[in-house]
Amino acid sequence: MSVKELIDGLFHPDIDSFETSVVRKRISRTVFSLLCGAALGVSGALMQAVTRNPIADPSILGVNTGASLFVVCGIAFLNISTANQYIWLALAGAAITAVFVFGIGSMGRGGATPIKLVLAGAATSAALSSLVTAIMIPRADVMDQFRFWQVGSVGSATWNGIATFSPFLIVGILIGFITAPALNALALGDDVATGLGVRTGVLRFFAALTGVLLCGATTALAGPIGFIGLLSTHVVRLILGPDLRFVIPMSALTGAIILTISDVGGRLIGGTGEVEVGVVTAFIGAPILIILAMKSKVRSL
Amino acid sequence: MTVTHTFQAEQLVAGYDNKPVIQKISLEIPSNKISVIIGSNGCGKSTLLKTLARLIKPISGKVTLDGKAIGKISPKQLARVVGLLPQSPIVPEGISVADLVGRGRFPHQSLFSGWTKKDYEAVAEAMRIMDITEFANHNIDELSGGQRQRVWIAMALAQQTDILFLDEPTTFLDIAYQVEILDLLTDLNRTHGTTIVMVLHDINLSARYADYIFALHKGTLVSEGVPSKVITSSLVKEIFGLDCSVIEDPISGSPMVVPIGRYHANKCTP
Amino acid sequence: MKNPSIDFIMAGRRQRRRRWLLVTGILVVLACTLCITMLLLGNTIYPVKDVIRALSGEQLKGVSFAVNTIRLPRMLAGLFAGFAFGLAGYTFQTMLRNPLANPNVIGITSGSGAAAVFCIIILHTSGAIISVASVVAGLATVILIYFLSRGKSFSIGRLILVGIGIQAMLDAVISYLLLISAQQDIPAALRWLTGSLNGSQMKELPPLVITVLIFAPIVIMLGKHLNILELGEQAASSLGVDADKTRIALIVSSVIMIAIATAVTGPIAFVSFLSGPIAKRLVGVGFSNVIPAGLVGVNLVLASDLIGQFAFAYRFPVGIITGLLGAPYLIFLLIRMNRKGEL
Repeated sequence: MSVKELIDGLFHPDIDSFETSVVRKRISRTVFSLLCGAALGVSGALMQAVTRNPIADPSILGVNTGASLFVVCGIAFLNISTANQYIWLALAGAAITAVFVFGIGSMGRGGATPIKLVLAGAATSAALSSLVTAIMIPRADVMDQFRFWQVGSVGSATWNGIATFSPFLIVGILIGFITAPALNALALGDDVATGLGVRTGVLRFFAALTGVLLCGATTALAGPIGFIGLLSTHVVRLILGPDLRFVIPMSALTGAIILTISDVGGRLIGGTGEVEVGVVTAFIGAPILIILAMKSKVRSL
Repeated sequence: MTVTHTFQAEQLVAGYDNKPVIQKISLEIPSNKISVIIGSNGCGKSTLLKTLARLIKPISGKVTLDGKAIGKISPKQLARVVGLLPQSPIVPEGISVADLVGRGRFPHQSLFSGWTKKDYEAVAEAMRIMDITEFANHNIDELSGGQRQRVWIAMALAQQTDILFLDEPTTFLDIAYQVEILDLLTDLNRTHGTTIVMVLHDINLSARYADYIFALHKGTLVSEGVPSKVITSSLVKEIFGLDCSVIEDPISGSPMVVPIGRYHANKCTP
Repeated sequence: MKNPSIDFIMAGRRQRRRRWLLVTGILVVLACTLCITMLLLGNTIYPVKDVIRALSGEQLKGVSFAVNTIRLPRMLAGLFAGFAFGLAGYTFQTMLRNPLANPNVIGITSGSGAAAVFCIIILHTSGAIISVASVVAGLATVILIYFLSRGKSFSIGRLILVGIGIQAMLDAVISYLLLISAQQDIPAALRWLTGSLNGSQMKELPPLVITVLIFAPIVIMLGKHLNILELGEQAASSLGVDADKTRIALIVSSVIMIAIATAVTGPIAFVSFLSGPIAKRLVGVGFSNVIPAGLVGVNLVLASDLIGQFAFAYRFPVGIITGLLGAPYLIFLLIRMNRKGEL
């Protein structure tokens, strides 16, 4: 596509050709993927801070699947089909799952270690996806609608969806900013944080709620896109160190960039079709999980 | 009837990932005796024991049993002569004590056979020696730490080997259990003539129970012989870096190490 | 002199042996009943006499087709795949001493599944090539996981984490392949997502049957070695088990069985995960549980398939039913392991 067509599409709303409409479509898609990436990045950073665990990520913790289950139930039983309705169901599903997974993962000695959390997440994911499939199979129409949603794609972006989504992102990022200094204290352990005057319970609740909110909203609109939270926070931490005052905003930026690049990459690889961004992020994100597993000391697993 | 074996190491170099921990050790294990390997943490005593018991392949040098390199003997055949009690064995959940002890019979069994009369006899004898017969049909999860350790030793006994290696058989046990386990092992040596080689942490218990001592320092064998010859204050200074006085154990007459330390040094008479 | 405690020990052992025989016997009877039920039940319920006549080769209108072409291959696929999954799952769990370390959780089934989907959807091949590809992919996945999780010292935790990572990637591949397949036919998709016996055909069965007949006996024969490996590396080696060789033989046999079974039925969820622990619960741990685990696998698959077919208004594939059974157990197990501090 030429630069002229691009400019026409961007700045001349009166020109209405095939190319300009494609450009407009792509703009909304790009904006949407930037927003989703940012949301997932912040969500990952917050979850890692709250759980004091480098492997926390919405997809690994099974939160995405919880959102999926609620969305499927909505489609199947409540005849829901608009983004506005998805989003509340997905949020509820994400929140309940997060509480459940974290509850199981932090039982027993040593609290929520990475391995316990990941396994609790994987198990819960497996359980919930069985339910999702069981609900879906007898209903061909639901399955058709859901199949595309399930892979995770920003292709279906609309300005309407973006409008629904933006408030969540803004609130989420704001809370991220505000809580960052306190979360820094939390990184030193609950006792130290309390000693520094942090109300750990309240902090945890708000930060975790925000993390779940962000990833739930993203999942509702784009489907479960995995590993962005993991990927972006670790890239940022590698460059900037562990100070959450930088990590949280920079994770938003990095997440946005990674997701958008993954989406473009997926479109380029796919040729005429496209490789959904969820597939791409799983491919570049899962190795990070593997590397983290390889590097971490046996005891801390 | 006791069987004698010659068990030797020649110029043994061994370690992990090709990084040698023990350097050119040559030794002969005295047959039908209790030998103890002593040394400070990280001096390679566990590595030496594991290499002798073929758990670690030597980088160079060899270990021979009756003149034959142990690498050349089939694992199962070797397991009928040489047994080992690992430091941290893994207990399958829910297994009964008799079944676990019976797993020590593996090298004597064929692929499909169930337990033969000989297997039952060996298991019963091992459990009698370790005094755990009453627990035979109990679940191992119900046993205390000291009792479990006896079950593990019983498993190694059921293997009925002439040579038995033990890697710190008394760690994690209270002092009373430590003495009890060492007494039981001594019984075994006296009645069956089993050659016992073990790593022990406690130098005084080593001196008391060992017929023969190998002292290791920084991966080399610095001294060997009967306890009364080996355990001297200069040796303890050399391998543990500890100033001490060696006196006679009032009970057994074996050498006993009494540390000096900085606060009480002036009270000791030169 | 005879040690008087021999009789005492013998009695206990005999009792445990009887339990083993009894449970195994019941599992066999149950499996046979389920097999017969699968032949009898369907859209139409045929009398036993007709089914036997159809099986023995007589041409009976309707009956022959339904029994020989639809129900028999379905039953056989369930029978052999269930045995393979149960056996292999138990082998992995025992060898790695962790019920979570099974082919389902650490991504081996996903490896085989991805290869099979690729062959079917992209290359449009069938038969032997699919079998070979899924075996190769399954083994490659194992090798990859092994090398990635080796680190300085081996840890099950790391192995499971790496396996979950690999599985995430492979599942992404499967989802993507299913999405781009030209005419999306839902049965095939379901088969690869959850495992299903629908549409099993006689011509797909020979590789599965032959593999199970060759490799299951190897695993069963090594059952005693497996019991020793369970005691840990050092104990195994001092008891004269060549740990490396035994482990390789067990892994290769198990993976080949899993891969071929996955290529035929898809990854029937949680069967390889559930069979071992259920068998253990039923039989105890004194003897080799390889055979009971395989039998539990058979019963799980066949019973779940019958439930899926007939218990609901809609016919669910077997994997959905095993998934719904298995997932809560997985969570229960995690809770228990966490409480006991085993993780």
